[in-house]
Amino acid sequence: MSAATSTPSGTDHLVVADHLSVHYGSKRAVDDVSFVIPKGRVVGLLGHNGAGKTTLMKAMVGLTPAKLGAGSDAGQLRVLGLHPQQQRVQMLQGACYIPDVAILPRWARVEDLITLMSGLHPHFSANRARSLLKRTSVGLRDKVKTLSKGMVVQAHLALIAAIDARLMILDEPTLGLDVISRKAFYEMLIDEWCDGERSVLISTHQVEEIESLLSDVLMLNEGKLVLSISLEDMDRRFVALSHDAEVAERMSAAHPLLRYRSGPGPGGQRGGSTAVFDGLPPADVLALGQRVRPSLVDLFVALTRKPELDRQHF
Amino acid sequence: MRTFLTLMQREWLQHRFGWSLLTLVPLGLALLVLSFGQIQVDSDAAIERVGHAFPAIVTAVAMMATTGLTFIIVAATSLILISGLARRDHQDRSVEFWLSLPTGHSSSLAAPLVTHLLVAPAAALFIGLAGGWLFSLVVVTRLAGLPAWLALPWGDIVIAVTAMLARVLVGLPLAVLWAAPLVLAQVLANAYFKRWGLPVLLLLLAAAGLLVDRWLGLGSLSQLIGDVLRNAAQALVTSGNYSMEPRSAEGVFQGLRQIPGWALADLAGAVRALASPLFAGCLATAAAMFALLVDWRRRGAGAAG
Repeated sequence: MSAATSTPSGTDHLVVADHLSVHYGSKRAVDDVSFVIPKGRVVGLLGHNGAGKTTLMKAMVGLTPAKLGAGSDAGQLRVLGLHPQQQRVQMLQGACYIPDVAILPRWARVEDLITLMSGLHPHFSANRARSLLKRTSVGLRDKVKTLSKGMVVQAHLALIAAIDARLMILDEPTLGLDVISRKAFYEMLIDEWCDGERSVLISTHQVEEIESLLSDVLMLNEGKLVLSISLEDMDRRFVALSHDAEVAERMSAAHPLLRYRSGPGPGGQRGGSTAVFDGLPPADVLALGQRVRPSLVDLFVALTRKPELDRQHF
Repeated sequence: MRTFLTLMQREWLQHRFGWSLLTLVPLGLALLVLSFGQIQVDSDAAIERVGHAFPAIVTAVAMMATTGLTFIIVAATSLILISGLARRDHQDRSVEFWLSLPTGHSSSLAAPLVTHLLVAPAAALFIGLAGGWLFSLVVVTRLAGLPAWLALPWGDIVIAVTAMLARVLVGLPLAVLWAAPLVLAQVLANAYFKRWGLPVLLLLLAAAGLLVDRWLGLGSLSQLIGDVLRNAAQALVTSGNYSMEPRSAEGVFQGLRQIPGWALADLAGAVRALASPLFAGCLATAAAMFALLVDWRRRGAGAAG
């Protein structure tokens, strides 16, 4: 995945966002964001609360009007090659979306929702939905208002996963689910739904839980896209060095993105730390520690933490 | 079309319990009362005057009253439900679920309007009619015996009932079109101003009334609204041009046979009333308000809550 400005928007790109902004009054919730999502990818959308994740996803499914650059900065937002607001119906036939709250209509029975979605979505499979629901504790005759929060989420995920879509947009999809159900959902998503042609965009705060599933990551910080990269490129670009306490000052002098305590260092001493660098640090710095794989959480903290917080910690 | 029908089906799934309660419970209770309660006819003289036509009168009254009341109950409920149409899915926070489905904004708004303003009241007519038929069976049987009910002039009754039913069924969409600006104004006001919708609408109407009356000299706005409502009512049925003279049995039967002709003439009058600037204005206003509602939903106000 790369910035849309440097990548031609070919047919392989399910999402092309170029100079995309979303405003709520005078507040810029999403600020001049550009990225593409090719087919066959599982993309994590990470960001603090209020970073603009939900707003970006809503803009992608046509629920929030996007503002595109003008003049030389003229931009575009295309989802499945379509304008999310102007061609919303056509676009939603190929894309499915779960908002950040479990929002199934409380008056409905689960089987009513299957009936309705069969009539409203041309690519919805009622049999597939029933089969997915059998794996959960949700019954077809259950009314949504009698279900627990977790069960509503399970029902919603089963309904959405029964859509033969090309793009799935999930905003905190497992909020309220226990760990077993979360694991089961992600297994189903990767093993059954993803087929190399379909793509998924997932926003979640449970970064560690989905890191192994992701092929790419988008990081938002205060509305701005601070990172858009595949996990392979991430491993190549970012360097984490585990080091002992006595070289901490020299490591800090090399201006890492982030330093944090991480248990015993390479020498087995207590008080060891890890420093994360954007790019390869100088050889003398490299020699001070042991190279380890930077985790997504470390990078997330490094790229989205506010400077004033950094000063408090270092 | 499949999408539109499914959206209408959603209304049925959501409101079937309420509709069943509203129609079947009053009818069931009334049937129980008529079956086991005391039925007393005060005026023996009147019964003697109409003679063997008395069961026919009872049947006609039972059918008309039951159908009318059921229709009024369902139509009034529909108007209340539809006034909150734009924001109803915010109450259970399901609005984003509906907005995430590939259904157009126009059809998502039009389907409930059609269901509540046309289909539900029309269905109420049939249910009321069936209830009235049962009532007539109970009442006539208890007052004059089952043979009297079986001996009713069913041919004339069926023709008269069918004519009346057809008259109201055809008049219903006309009445809805007449009243559409007022109904949609309420929906639109609730969409923009939530619970303050009705007060704001009344204030706006008062302000518009002042503008129309004093400054533009176009006559009274309240009179205009009155005309619209009168036309809407008359599109359904006009009561002024028909009278049955139940002074004799023959008068009753003749009155029954006159109903189809009267219904046709009445409908012709309702259709003629459409060729007026007022109706054109109603259509234009309703179309503009519907477009505003679609725009409100399209701009994401539906999701923003």
